[in-house]
Amino acid sequence: MELYVALKVIWAVLLGVLLSGLAIMVGMDMGVGALLRFVGRNDGERRTALAMIGPHWDGNQVWFILGGGAIFAAFPTLYATSFSTFYVVMILLLFSMIMRPVAFEYRSKVDASRWRESWDWVFLISGAVPMIIFGAAFGNVIQGVGFHFGWDAQYYQDESFIWYLLNPFALLCGVLSLAMAVHQGGAMLMIRGEGPIAERARRFAIGGGLLAAALFMIGGVWVQFIKGFAFTQTVDPGMPATPLGGPAVVMRTGAWMDNFHMYPLLWLFPALGVLGMIAGPLALMARKPILAWWLGAIAWIGIIFTAGGAMFPFLMPSTTNPAESLTVWNASGSAYNLGWMLVFAVIFVPAILIYTSWAFRVMRGKVKTETVVGNDHSY
Amino acid sequence: MTEIVKIIALAGVLTLGLLLAVVAGDYAPWYFAWLVGTTMIILISVSGAVLLETQEAAGNASREK
Amino acid sequence: MINPTVVDLSRLQFALTALYHFQFVPLTLGLTFLLAAMETVYVITGKQIYKDMTLFWGKLFGINFAIGVATGLTMEFEFGTNWSMYSHFVGDVFGTPLAIEGLMAFFMESTFVGLMFFGWDRLSKPAHLVVTYLVALGSNLSALWILIANGFMQDPVGAKFDPTTMRMQFKSFGALVFSADAQAKFVHTTVAGFVCGSMFVMGISAFYLLRRQHRDFALRSFRMAALFGVIASLAVITLGDASGRLDDLLQPSKLAAMEGLWHTTTPPAAPWTLFAIPNDKAQKNLYPIGIPYVLTPLVAHDFTSAIPGVFALERDAKPKIVNGMKAIVALKAYGATHDPAALAEFRKHENDMGYGFLAQRFAPDQDLSKVTPSNLPTILDRAARETIPNVFVEFWAFRLMVALGVAFLIVFAFGAYYSLKNELEKHPWVLKAAMYAIPLPVLTTLFGWITAENGRQPWTVFGWLPTFISASSHSVGYMVFSLVGFALLYSAFIAAELYLLFKYARLGPGYHGATVRPVESAARPAFGQPGYAADKPWQ
Repeated sequence: MELYVALKVIWAVLLGVLLSGLAIMVGMDMGVGALLRFVGRNDGERRTALAMIGPHWDGNQVWFILGGGAIFAAFPTLYATSFSTFYVVMILLLFSMIMRPVAFEYRSKVDASRWRESWDWVFLISGAVPMIIFGAAFGNVIQGVGFHFGWDAQYYQDESFIWYLLNPFALLCGVLSLAMAVHQGGAMLMIRGEGPIAERARRFAIGGGLLAAALFMIGGVWVQFIKGFAFTQTVDPGMPATPLGGPAVVMRTGAWMDNFHMYPLLWLFPALGVLGMIAGPLALMARKPILAWWLGAIAWIGIIFTAGGAMFPFLMPSTTNPAESLTVWNASGSAYNLGWMLVFAVIFVPAILIYTSWAFRVMRGKVKTETVVGNDHSY
Repeated sequence: MTEIVKIIALAGVLTLGLLLAVVAGDYAPWYFAWLVGTTMIILISVSGAVLLETQEAAGNASREK
Repeated sequence: MINPTVVDLSRLQFALTALYHFQFVPLTLGLTFLLAAMETVYVITGKQIYKDMTLFWGKLFGINFAIGVATGLTMEFEFGTNWSMYSHFVGDVFGTPLAIEGLMAFFMESTFVGLMFFGWDRLSKPAHLVVTYLVALGSNLSALWILIANGFMQDPVGAKFDPTTMRMQFKSFGALVFSADAQAKFVHTTVAGFVCGSMFVMGISAFYLLRRQHRDFALRSFRMAALFGVIASLAVITLGDASGRLDDLLQPSKLAAMEGLWHTTTPPAAPWTLFAIPNDKAQKNLYPIGIPYVLTPLVAHDFTSAIPGVFALERDAKPKIVNGMKAIVALKAYGATHDPAALAEFRKHENDMGYGFLAQRFAPDQDLSKVTPSNLPTILDRAARETIPNVFVEFWAFRLMVALGVAFLIVFAFGAYYSLKNELEKHPWVLKAAMYAIPLPVLTTLFGWITAENGRQPWTVFGWLPTFISASSHSVGYMVFSLVGFALLYSAFIAAELYLLFKYARLGPGYHGATVRPVESAARPAFGQPGYAADKPWQ
């Protein structure tokens, strides 16, 4: 049983790591996509901007797929329930995400301004919309979602999806994540870009970083007044993973601060987040984009682990039937499954980090407009 | 000394290969067939191209005569 | 209450998105290894034309790959968005290969594909070759883990249902990975991908040869693709036969539907039905034409084994349905009360529980506790009939797949033979056949998908979880919204994809080489530019 608890906790942390990877790598590309129309005033500049992430967007996007796969395997009930209850939002997310690979490959293959202009809009949509949805989904999860389970552990939705789209806290989280993406994307455009592209990107990135810092702090205050969730009975973390017949849970204003009161060390994460989001723009002002990018990455880790730390062990609480809230304890895979997955994660996550950084090293350096436009193979 | 290290390394690789082959034979015959077969398909395709170069060189030579 | 319309729409959406995705995947599986083979020749011989081949076919590969990646995103999330009960029920074992696919294969493929396209000037020749091989290996390893997951749906080994967690629990990693079904499917599918890739390259090369364009380029591409394809075709057929044998053992309902067998066969004279129009309503074949003495050795590889027909399978299913209903009623009671007696009752019938789920649909109010002796016979009949997949679809999808597969072998064989003799241009019919066959292998793999997945019905997990209860509890409105969106987006994609593929195939390799490689083109003229042909007598 002890081993099972350890595995559950490890996978909850790994989930945070994967989501951080997703936010950092995909967020950067989304930021570049969202900024494309604004940093590139003509076709050559836009192609230059695309060429900066051209060799990497595909690999980065796998963080998104891996996130989905890891939730499926490590927290099957969470995967089944969250994606279904957020159906309309998830489908919108998919629609905007699947336009992006096509946009990369097709945009510059036809030399007609209407064709390219249309795909540039696609980049804007497929960059901005997913980030807002990611953030908003987290915002909703923090507030709880209305669902309950049938006897066979099938979920039933208790609320209309409209509610998810139109709620201010979720929108705040959505804009926060878009602002972070703009910061990271802008930093990347400065790292690999020159001249007017880098200058324009710098303005957007500084604004994005500062806006993110402000929203994060507002959100932090706001959470004090949101109803959080807490167990009112003792919980056996090693329990078999089923959402049915779980211990009682109460909704209480400010309950999301309980973990911070109990483990003050958790304040490290919001501190890291604020530090990264303020120091990042400062580094950009000092024209140190690489430093700013890393600070932004640290900020992402801070943001995600702040949310996770506040909610732990809750993953997706239910407002209509709090006792059936999904937690790290009741929504995880079996010990056998988590063990095998851990074996693969221990081998392949470091391998991924190594060859991804190798790929970035191989392709390093400034991207020049002349080479991009002169090369019919580039995006 | 380096020779001995090389021989030991080679022996290690061979043993590993043999072990893999034995295990594959018991549990994963089709996976094993895929590995061997795909390698073979690529090699045959490659040698087809190399053969074409030889044929062309021979054709050019006989035309020049 | 489960809404049958929602289930049907969910099935429609999954089939459409999966089939759409699967148009692009096989081409990726095959083209990557063909690209690697071409680049290998470039590295061995140092001849520029092989690099031009790699670049040109690589460009067409890229156009295709983008949509494959985009539509693959849908697949990874659609289990969760539309099949919540399925995801909960098998996520513990089915999610694992999907996660490993991301960790081990897709990450590798996607990271290195960027270097493959953009790293030519930044990597040494051997390093770039290794990158290309890693892309090919990555895409095929992706297929491996996806098909291991699919293998579990076809033959659920390595997991056991647990009444406490109400789901299948992962028990044996080895059993899952080395499942016979997964192994045969993996080889069959990837090698079918090789056939798609080779036919694509061979057909477009034939097009150039027929138009007397890019002759040296096309002859070389044709030779490599034809040899690649002829062996791959043979392997596809071998593995298809192996899969059929497995269905005989593991999924008799699929086999009976594939062969249109309503009655159990009488070996050895049982005929193999060449043509028939199976009628699912009347449960018989119209206008059958059969070849006697072929079926038994073809399927069972002997002359004595009888192959069970639909009626026998339906009869055999009935006792399982009765037991299964008891299992589900006991399971529900155990879930509510944790009563050990209910658990004991469940344990007695647990292996048939899937059949109980299957009958749930036909019970009054979809509630098995409302089954009475008076309505039991109707429920039994309807549930038993439900255990057989649609025979018409299965029969014809299978036959079209096999017929096309054999036809490809013939085209590849002639293509390879005349290519090896350097007589291709004397036999334009081979070139024409190859050209017109370009889209057919992809179509054939779609028939293969239908054979495998329609034949699995009515189950999502064979014998354990029916499709009917696997879907999410959505409203019809949700489903209409997503279906319309997918239809619009995917239609736009395919239009753009075909436009670009035709555009670049027509333009040919010359156009491609003209502007690429700014560094090298300064030193020597690029392929297709003035001066390039000067040192190449064959231009």
